[in-house]
Amino acid sequence: MRSPPSHSRKIARERISILFTRAQEFFDDDPAASHRCVVLARRIAMRQRVRIEREFRRRFCRHCHAYLVVGKNMRVRIHRGKVIVTCRECGRQMRYPLEVRHGTRKG
Amino acid sequence: MIAPRNILRHELIGLDVLVRDAANPLHRGISGRVIDETRNTLVIRTACGDKRIPKSRTWFRFLLGGGVLVEVDGSALVNAPEKRIMQHAKKRGP
Repeated sequence: MRSPPSHSRKIARERISILFTRAQEFFDDDPAASHRCVVLARRIAMRQRVRIEREFRRRFCRHCHAYLVVGKNMRVRIHRGKVIVTCRECGRQMRYPLEVRHGTRKG
Repeated sequence: MIAPRNILRHELIGLDVLVRDAANPLHRGISGRVIDETRNTLVIRTACGDKRIPKSRTWFRFLLGGGVLVEVDGSALVNAPEKRIMQHAKKRGP
């Protein structure tokens, strides 16, 4: 299947970045608007087949797609060599390796 | 970078907007910030609450970065936000 044109993917990357910036801005007043921004960013990424960058990927729950802010609706603990992130919207956990090998950063 | 040439394909959430003309006279003159977008509507946060404005048969005036104002026919925006990227893409070659 043909992939989307590169200029469309460039706009998609810009839009994903803008949406996560907006999500951060909206969170204090209206967390629901932030969660909506994440949903839209994921849809853009899936349709244009663009990877959501690592810095953004860790800012939302992989289960319920809620935008997460440390101390508000997200708990971060370190246990047995993993970062355990708990989403306090849905209560489920994400685990990321603490130790990162060179050239294999994907998490 | 959001510019007049790519506004139809770019992100509208977060932009300041004015409803310049609308089929519904009560919608004319509403201004605020776009906080959500669906296929057929924009949700604008104004001083007196959130307003859901249909895109079709409405003219919007968006304020872009650097103070650039762009007037857009809302009918050209009628599509799901993630689909607008492809909708107005230039066709290449024969």
